[in-house]
Amino acid sequence: MHTLNLEVLTPNGSIFNGPVQSVTVPGEEGEFGVLSQHVALTTLLKAGVIDIIQENGQKESIVVNWGVVQIANNVVTVLVDGAVAIRGDSEGEMAKALDEAKALIDSVADSSALIASVSARIESAAHSHLF
Amino acid sequence: MANLKEIQRQIKSVSNTQKTTRAMKMVSTAKLRRAEELAKRSRLFAQKTNQVIAEIASRIQCNKVGGIDSRCFVQNDAPKSIDIIFVTADKGLCGGFNMQTIKAVKRLIAEYKNKDVNIRVRGIGKKGVEYFTFNQVELLDGVKNLSSAPDMQRSSEFMARSIKDFNDGIVDAVYLVYNGYKNVITQELHVNRILPISIENIDCESVKDSVLELEAFDEEKMLDSLVHKYAEYNMYYALIDSVAAEHSARMQAMDAATNNAKEMVKSLTVKFNKARQESITTELIEIISGVESMK
Repeated sequence: MHTLNLEVLTPNGSIFNGPVQSVTVPGEEGEFGVLSQHVALTTLLKAGVIDIIQENGQKESIVVNWGVVQIANNVVTVLVDGAVAIRGDSEGEMAKALDEAKALIDSVADSSALIASVSARIESAAHSHLF
Repeated sequence: MANLKEIQRQIKSVSNTQKTTRAMKMVSTAKLRRAEELAKRSRLFAQKTNQVIAEIASRIQCNKVGGIDSRCFVQNDAPKSIDIIFVTADKGLCGGFNMQTIKAVKRLIAEYKNKDVNIRVRGIGKKGVEYFTFNQVELLDGVKNLSSAPDMQRSSEFMARSIKDFNDGIVDAVYLVYNGYKNVITQELHVNRILPISIENIDCESVKDSVLELEAFDEEKMLDSLVHKYAEYNMYYALIDSVAAEHSARMQAMDAATNNAKEMVKSLTVKFNKARQESITTELIEIISGVESMK
């Protein structure tokens, strides 16, 4: 399996760092997926969800409010302003992460359609993570 | 005897001061640990952001892609108007920490005054703002209570004005002066030019073959928003770094003060013992001479 390295950095530290199978990011011009051997690219991200399929096939979602992604030499570097990873070992932790993620999206997105779609996606991400 | 009492009073006062400075040192040590942690976590982001920006800048410079002539990347050797932003602490008692920054700012002001450049000074931190106000150096604005508790939103708001004026052509360069954290015992003074983005030491060879792929409708817009974030983030990082440096400087200053107080107590105790011995000797002489005279 070909993998690429993903690094998600916020001003308050790294939120994800490791090899992944694929990653889907919310580009300014639309969502796009990145697999290994992707061409070099630098672009902006808008508020949305980063979907990650990890090396072992496990899925993970990170909600971001703004960012820039740089893809080069099989390394994907995502620099974001604010990010919340939808993960947690218990239902309580998960609920907390969900609330934080929603607050983050509410604070930046100006269209209610975007808020709704992102909210729906993080809910489903949380469900698939838990069950 | 009056002298003895006086020395005793002094010893007590110095050892009380010593207690205070020791406590302050411990407080600073605890705060430093937290600030250092924050700075460490942010450093990676800062490095990556600078790296991305530098790469874009160098590609623009070396390959002249897409005719991007964003003001942020154009080098201007003869600026007409500049912004100097400095960061000092809100509190004193941290040795030469604030003074170092202030001196650097004064040097920068003098340097550009010679070149007839219009200078706007913007300050963060009570100590620096008060210093310049007292010395009748005009400040465009001064923010207090931000450097002791760095806040992304407030620092972004503060920086936004400089970025806007830069984009509107009111200022030609933005400098950021702050005292950063190097390690527990050293601080490092930074004088950084935030805008336009510095493209010194660029190796054209390394980027010659790679193509800058900007997947955006409006490249200018993308670069602008990227540069905006870059400047804002640099500001925030300066604040974080400065807090860590402030605590380390205070820790050192208080440690030195504690040691000095200890020395002082020691020498005062010697003085006290000598004075006491002297008074005993005098008393003895008086008694003996009294006895002698009665013979």
